Amino acid sequence: MSTATLTNPPGIFPPAPNQNRWERAVPVYGVSVFNKFFFLLVGLAILSGFLTIYREAVGLGPASGMNDKFGWGIWKTFNVVVLTAWGSGAFAVGIAAWVFGRKRLHTLMRMALLTSMLAYACGLCLLGVDVGRPWNFYWVLFPWNWNVHSPMAEVAICMSVYASIPLALENIPPILERLWHFDVRLQPVVEKLEHALHKFFPFIVALAYLLPGMHQSSLGALMLLGGQRVHPLWQTPFLPLLYVGAASFMSFGCVAGVTMLCCLVWKRPIDRDVLEEAARITAWIIFAWLVIRNLDLLFRGALFTAFHPTEYALIFWIETFLIGYGGWLLLQSLKDRKLRTMFLGYTLSSVGGMLYRFSPTTLAYMPGPKATYFPSVIELLIAIGFASTGIAIFLVMVKLFAILPAPVQEWHNMALYFRARGPYSNWTKYFNFGFFGDTEPTESD
Amino acid sequence: MSKQPTIAEHLEASGVSRRSFIQLCSMLMVTAPAGLALTNKKSVFEIAAAIGKTQRPSVIWLHFQDCTGCTETLLRTSTPDVAHLILDVISLDYHETLMAASGAQAEAALRSAMAANAGKYVLVVEGAIPMKDDGVYMQLNSKPAVQVLREVASKAAAVIAIGSCASWGGVPSADPNPTGAVGVDSLITGKPIVNLPGCPPNPYNLLGVVLEYVTMGKLPQLDEVGRPKFAYERVIHENCPRRAHFDAGRFAGAFGDEGHRKGWCLYKMGCKGPVTHAACSTRHFNEIADCWPIGAGIPCLGCTEKNVVWKMGTFETVPIHLATPPDTYPPIYSSVGGATVGAAALVGAVAGALGGATYVYSQRFQSSQEAGAERIENARAQAEKKED
Amino acid sequence: MAITRRELITNIAKAGVPAAVGLTVGAEMLHAEEVPIPSAPLGLLYDASLCIGCKACEAACNEANNTPPDTSRDGLHQAPTDLNVFTRNIIKLYKPEDGSQSSFVKRQCMQCFDPGCVAGCPFEALYKDQDSGVVHWDGDKCIGCRYCTIACPYSVPRFQWLGLDPVITKCELCSHRLAKGLKPGCTSVCPVGAVIFGPRTALLLEAKRRIKNNPGRYYQDRVYGETDNGGTQALYLSRVPFDKLGLPDIGPESGPSSTLRWQKRIYSYFALPAVLYAALVTVIRRNQHGHEQEAHQQEKETGLRAQI
Repeated sequence: MSTATLTNPPGIFPPAPNQNRWERAVPVYGVSVFNKFFFLLVGLAILSGFLTIYREAVGLGPASGMNDKFGWGIWKTFNVVVLTAWGSGAFAVGIAAWVFGRKRLHTLMRMALLTSMLAYACGLCLLGVDVGRPWNFYWVLFPWNWNVHSPMAEVAICMSVYASIPLALENIPPILERLWHFDVRLQPVVEKLEHALHKFFPFIVALAYLLPGMHQSSLGALMLLGGQRVHPLWQTPFLPLLYVGAASFMSFGCVAGVTMLCCLVWKRPIDRDVLEEAARITAWIIFAWLVIRNLDLLFRGALFTAFHPTEYALIFWIETFLIGYGGWLLLQSLKDRKLRTMFLGYTLSSVGGMLYRFSPTTLAYMPGPKATYFPSVIELLIAIGFASTGIAIFLVMVKLFAILPAPVQEWHNMALYFRARGPYSNWTKYFNFGFFGDTEPTESD
Repeated sequence: MSKQPTIAEHLEASGVSRRSFIQLCSMLMVTAPAGLALTNKKSVFEIAAAIGKTQRPSVIWLHFQDCTGCTETLLRTSTPDVAHLILDVISLDYHETLMAASGAQAEAALRSAMAANAGKYVLVVEGAIPMKDDGVYMQLNSKPAVQVLREVASKAAAVIAIGSCASWGGVPSADPNPTGAVGVDSLITGKPIVNLPGCPPNPYNLLGVVLEYVTMGKLPQLDEVGRPKFAYERVIHENCPRRAHFDAGRFAGAFGDEGHRKGWCLYKMGCKGPVTHAACSTRHFNEIADCWPIGAGIPCLGCTEKNVVWKMGTFETVPIHLATPPDTYPPIYSSVGGATVGAAALVGAVAGALGGATYVYSQRFQSSQEAGAERIENARAQAEKKED
Repeated sequence: MAITRRELITNIAKAGVPAAVGLTVGAEMLHAEEVPIPSAPLGLLYDASLCIGCKACEAACNEANNTPPDTSRDGLHQAPTDLNVFTRNIIKLYKPEDGSQSSFVKRQCMQCFDPGCVAGCPFEALYKDQDSGVVHWDGDKCIGCRYCTIACPYSVPRFQWLGLDPVITKCELCSHRLAKGLKPGCTSVCPVGAVIFGPRTALLLEAKRRIKNNPGRYYQDRVYGETDNGGTQALYLSRVPFDKLGLPDIGPESGPSSTLRWQKRIYSYFALPAVLYAALVTVIRRNQHGHEQEAHQQEKETGLRAQI
């Protein structure tokens, strides 16, 4: 990871052999994230806030399209089952980086952690809106009352614990970093906290890999109790394993894809090496997943239903095509070295994975011959609104904190913008100027 | 006090045939098959024996603000024998409509009946009692009705308020109630009071209560407003002969239309049967089948209920609070859920927007990368210049 | 030589994995029957061939449970189309289009021996009484997640979609009436005795007696619920195929036992997760050490603070 030994004093850096090498996380600078898109997101978020109040006031019936046969709507089946899986980057990318030692992926870790935090936070908040009697959730604090055999208990408890403890702790470092640079007086406290985090790091991180492994698979185990009501193309005892696998390649798609999109929008350099590593890993997860899934279908004797002219077969083929073609595009992008191919590969495989995780809960769930479900407008707006909230917070976070990976040069360029703390510095006269590491004010201040 | 003859002795002396008496007893059995201790016997002969042994009860009947309909109901039996029979079973010692005396003689009859049977007679009250302006609106021998009622009731063994007027005020108490009419139980305390609302009530209700009291020594079981349960426990709707039409959804709409002529349910014409406690649906009047309002094609007015008649419109429908299954069946699988146009459009719009954005943005990687490299190069050059 | 902490944890991990596997599988074998059978299960026997569709049981159920009737169809009559928050039992009609034998069916909670709703409920709001076997719902524990509505293979529990205090409604065999020595509402009013109440053993004997005395009358000469879905306390006899009446052909294994077997084994005593955690900690510590060294070096070279 280190370049040749530098003899220059800190300040100017000669360009590294790979000019676009991601060496450091850098906030978004020089560009405002508060554009029309951001305000659209905030508007959707506020709208969903009002609609949530409406849902709390009248009950779930008028505010959603859920009915007696389809008790779960898109709030659970999409925002929780799908979006938290798509946003489980902290799990998949983290395991690849920390457990399997793929060092280059460390630069993506902060992105993965932030997207995970937001996906889980928004998903769990919406889950709180979705359940009918949330005031009884306090039973989660009494483990002897848990029904340990219930996948639902596992999901609810594990996700809550995960989001509030390990994931939150893992997301603290960028905030601490900014505080350290922001005010010299805070540095001792920050350093103490960082030291504590560092000491417990393996325990926190191990928990952060164990828990998502458990609940992403339990999200699959939920539909096991659906029994015959889930179409045989999806219903399998391996559903938990396939769900975890889908979460893995989807979350790679999320982390790498969103990073690519951010670099595109804000015109930041892209480190092909890191992305190619990620693409390779994702492609192989995808193919392993496809093999397991189809072998399972074959051995269960359910594969022939994929050739019946039903809508379920159609969904199956769309899913398989999206995931498989996405994986193929990822491998292709390693050859043709086109970022577009890679981006499309991530997108298609993520969408396919989303469809796969969504199907057993809704599309392939058949509680009765004449029972159907489609979300109502209010339900859709609330779901979109919560997701928009996540995206809006993401935009604010990448602007304020060092999350997005970039070459080290960008860190120095950013310092010029980081400097602008006029009112605060005038008031307190305490601000760390100059290139980081200096403690003396320069002449201009 | 002279010893009163038993009912059996009196009937024999009056020359009433035993056959007629047994017929009366069997009608009582029909009236209250399980509601009275008196009729809860294995055969009509046992009832006849029980009644026959009893001393003829003395009944004093007072009229206040009434239309005399309740008296008429007692007399309007379809076979004259039964009317006479009733009057032979009970000893109607004072009855302004039926007695021959009037004026001072009537007053004297009242005094002597009260004295002769003090503490044992049954007081039957017909009509409401006006209370406004010290009760001047109805006076008996220059005494306000309330005073008369209190005097006579003070020596009665039990008080029966026959008719809606005596039970809770009835017609005179309808808005604006100019005379301040009230029922008996607002004025009398300390005596057992039985309310027999109705306009008029079925005479067998009265007969059953009186005979139960004198034969078995206690009043029948009363509900929370003092009505005997054997006659007022259920609402008309529960036993209505037209109930099948209600359950099947066949309703008459207006007098004389097809449904009305076919005898369909009168609910939609404002029948108050579902909220009216009375026994009219099983025990019709004048011993003639279908001789009652609904049987005649007129929606029930709810004449026993204080909150119904004179408070609701004749053709105003009442809410139904009973669970009654109709004549249709749900299939094994019913349809539920579905998409609305708006929702489908929204999903399409979002999917389209995301797909379009993906396509558009995926094209821009090349140009963005070049712009980014340029920016870094510029910034680096600037920094170098500064250092120099 | 002293054992380092890392080695200790590694050794535990190495020894622990086979131990945990052995524990889980062994524990499974030790538990001959995981799902407890109630001591005196009560039930219903519904004979569809006797039912006349009078729906007195629907009305009686509402009265017994003090629920308002579902009059949403026309505002007058109680005419629910399916179980819902107002309707704990319902009479449905199977009428084939070809005019062959039709049949009524009474649907209510099957009071399964291994209920899917109880297996799925996260905080045991739905629980099975140990003696009578009746499945009750406790509003103080329910979070309204509606998993029971999905886990039940008969689609029995129904959620209240309107209002601020939504409940889950289902037949609880009129336990409040049983406590007073009365029978459930529906069986008290059935005019033809199509649905009867009693101990499940007695009902099963009665059902078998009817089958024996009426050969060829009942579909497949069997009682639905004897072994279906692991055994249910509501038993059914019918002339027409059970699946036509909406009683699915699940087989003798209950939903939870056939689907959650591996879930139960893997999480048994949380042994495997604990072992996995120990292994992860070991690996991450090892990797962290190397990562730390590189980060220190980079810090020295660039003068920039390391980013965790």
